[in-house]
Amino acid sequence: MASIQDFSGYQPTWCPGCGDWGIGMAIKKALVELNYSPDQVAVVFGIGCSGNMNDFLNAYGLHSLHGRALPNAIGIKLANHKLPVLAVVGDGDCYGEGGNHFIHACRGNHDITVIVHDNGVYGLTTGQSAPTALKGYRSKSTPLGLIEAPVNPLALALTSGVTFVAQGFAGDLNHLVLILKEAITHKGFSLVNVLQPCVTFNKVNTYQYYLQRVYKLDKDYQKDNFKLALDKALEVNEEKFPLGVIYQVKRPCYHESLPQTSSLPLVEKKRFLEYDSLIKEFI
Amino acid sequence: MTFTWKIGGEAGFGIMTTGLLFSKIASRLGYYILDYVEYPSLIRGGHNAYEVCVSDKEVTALKKNIDVLVCLNEETFHKHKNRLTSQSLVLYDKEEFDFTDNFNKINVSLKKILTDLKGQAVMKNTIALGASLSILGGKIEVLLDLIAEQFKKKGDEIVRFNQQFAIAGYEEVKKNYSFLIKNFLIEKEEKQEKLVLSGNEAFSLGAVVSDCRLYAAYPMTPSSSVLHTLASWQEKTGMIVRHSEDEIAVINTALGASFAGVRAAVGTSGGGFSLMVESLSLAGVAEIPVVVFLAQRPGPATGMPTWTEQGDLLFAIFSGHGEFPKIVLAPGDQKEMIELTLKAFNLADIYQTPVIFVSDMYLSEGHKSVERDWVDKIVREYQIRRGKINLSQKENPQKLEIFLRYKVTEDGISEKILPGTAGYFYQENSYEHLEDGHTTEEAEPRKDQVEKRLRKWQTYLKNDFQLPKFYGNEKAEIVFISWGSTKGIVLEAQKRLKEKGIETGFYHFNHIYPLDKEKFSQLLKKDNKRYLLVENNALGQFGKILAMEAGLDFKEKILRYDGRPITVEEIIEKI
Repeated sequence: MASIQDFSGYQPTWCPGCGDWGIGMAIKKALVELNYSPDQVAVVFGIGCSGNMNDFLNAYGLHSLHGRALPNAIGIKLANHKLPVLAVVGDGDCYGEGGNHFIHACRGNHDITVIVHDNGVYGLTTGQSAPTALKGYRSKSTPLGLIEAPVNPLALALTSGVTFVAQGFAGDLNHLVLILKEAITHKGFSLVNVLQPCVTFNKVNTYQYYLQRVYKLDKDYQKDNFKLALDKALEVNEEKFPLGVIYQVKRPCYHESLPQTSSLPLVEKKRFLEYDSLIKEFI
Repeated sequence: MTFTWKIGGEAGFGIMTTGLLFSKIASRLGYYILDYVEYPSLIRGGHNAYEVCVSDKEVTALKKNIDVLVCLNEETFHKHKNRLTSQSLVLYDKEEFDFTDNFNKINVSLKKILTDLKGQAVMKNTIALGASLSILGGKIEVLLDLIAEQFKKKGDEIVRFNQQFAIAGYEEVKKNYSFLIKNFLIEKEEKQEKLVLSGNEAFSLGAVVSDCRLYAAYPMTPSSSVLHTLASWQEKTGMIVRHSEDEIAVINTALGASFAGVRAAVGTSGGGFSLMVESLSLAGVAEIPVVVFLAQRPGPATGMPTWTEQGDLLFAIFSGHGEFPKIVLAPGDQKEMIELTLKAFNLADIYQTPVIFVSDMYLSEGHKSVERDWVDKIVREYQIRRGKINLSQKENPQKLEIFLRYKVTEDGISEKILPGTAGYFYQENSYEHLEDGHTTEEAEPRKDQVEKRLRKWQTYLKNDFQLPKFYGNEKAEIVFISWGSTKGIVLEAQKRLKEKGIETGFYHFNHIYPLDKEKFSQLLKKDNKRYLLVENNALGQFGKILAMEAGLDFKEKILRYDGRPITVEEIIEKI
């Protein structure tokens, strides 16, 4: 059985106190507790402080471009659906630059787990406002205050046909591990939006800010109730943040719906050789 | 004997299907064909035309004169009558329009037959095909067979219903115009089975034979029919054919699949390719094999979507930020399309880098005859070469080990094991990285990796690059230079010039970039030669590459950039 140590690459370079430390540890713990070892997992990283986890997490990794981790993850899953596929991305990465991919990955119910570091800022490029930043947020790129309303990732995912939506908090590691385990085990597209304080650039959404506003969903919360889930997703408008699995339903995932990958993974299949039947079409 | 049959009518009324049927009829009767389609970027309302050049021997270019013009509407006649001669036959319906020009009139009562037999508007095409076969001396059975194949799923009644339109057209012409009937399509006694293949279909077939297992695309003319063809085959071939949300997703899905170990390709035209190029650079640095099928059309921006141009060559060669090796190939015709597709997938794997495979509307959408035996042979003999991509499980190390995915090697290529291989792990990285894939900003490893990657080009030039093929007379003073789809047109021009007693030579490039300048620059630097560059673009883009790489300067250029293919006649005029 693999250990946390086996999954640990370089010593992280995140700022002391950054929420990414909690997320990084939670991912490793979840994988260990699910009995995976680094040679059995594929992880795609976006670009940003979140994506820098590529050097800190041992796995078959693909450190991709800003915004493009999701289509990469989909490609990996289509080619080898035996591998669990995780995408470790940021809010600007996934909801901004890669927003289109996000919507369509939800629709397709591709069996990948998307872990979004949601800190409301672009940390790695020194703190410009991200799509989840609150209206009026002042940053280097929006010195007069952000005009746009924030993206609501949970609601966006729900209305795009997602089958698993959860929210975690980087300040509650044990709870995050539980969520991640459920997300990785879920058959289909799973979104884990992790509230993650950026201690260097975001002076609004701090640990204190979240500690006062997060709450865990009840044990008897009906997670297959779409309307209830949407209500929970909209609570962000009142600056309330439910934690836990907000929505989960069963629907065949993309590769299961393809006859090509209904059994063996694409990479393991025998080569097709019946060219005659194709050639005949051109006679 | 070589003749051109052309049909025109309103867009949305089956002209494309009809044209292709004519090509197949001629092919089944034992002839060679080359066809070309003109259509606007509309579904309904514009003008569609389809011409088929038919001959006893291989056809490599279109012909200036139209021998049989089938006018399903009046516009067809006016648009194309400048290519008719006094010998030409014009098939039309007097009820629709009439003309006084001095061509051979074949009046077919398309409208009346349609009404009498209670047919739908598209069945005019079937009547016209029957009438065409009649006047060309072909036998109707070939058309009836094709109709039967097309409608067999819908039952015998539907088959017979459709066939009667063909028969009606055939019989009417036979009755009224027996004195004009030609022997152009008499069935050949000795026939070689041939495929009627468009460039896109040739690529599709090649991709399947190459064991490409994932093809992703976003529809874009003129590449879309690759998506359609491969999608229609997917249940049979097992290839995953994915229409993603945009071209950025398209290439990144392919890169993900390739990372996981399967051969993957994408297809697009210039606009979609523009969206892909950041990710092409990712493929370059992360060393992920991918084949990019780039079917050009006239740009910039939306340009002229359904017409042809070779205007994206420089863009393809220089696509992607940063310096990384890529290989650019451009087939000259359908046969080269198959051959080079097979090679492209091998090269992508061997060099673990993107291969850009350049076509254009003229080659992609036009059909050409390819002998069945030739296809069978090349398919049978194809060897998959995956280079240093190690598909087998490695010996399991005592304890988990990081695999040196980017090990510095002499040939620039590092071993890759597949994600999921027990006992190891590694990352492929868009950042500059160390041999083990970890991100680095240190000077020395950066230099090592840049040089390692660029060494792949040297290895390619040594092992897999091919010099341009030479056609014609080596002693000739006149030498044409071209690349890609202009090949057949130059070959035909050479043939016609020779008939006039003018000897020429012709270097045709299909291995476009990188170029081994040591090898080829000597070929093209002879003082006593007159070099003519032939390209379907305004800038003479390949000429610029030859200038950059080998200091060649072309004083004479035959360029065309109005969306139409270059013609044999305009080449001959320049001599």
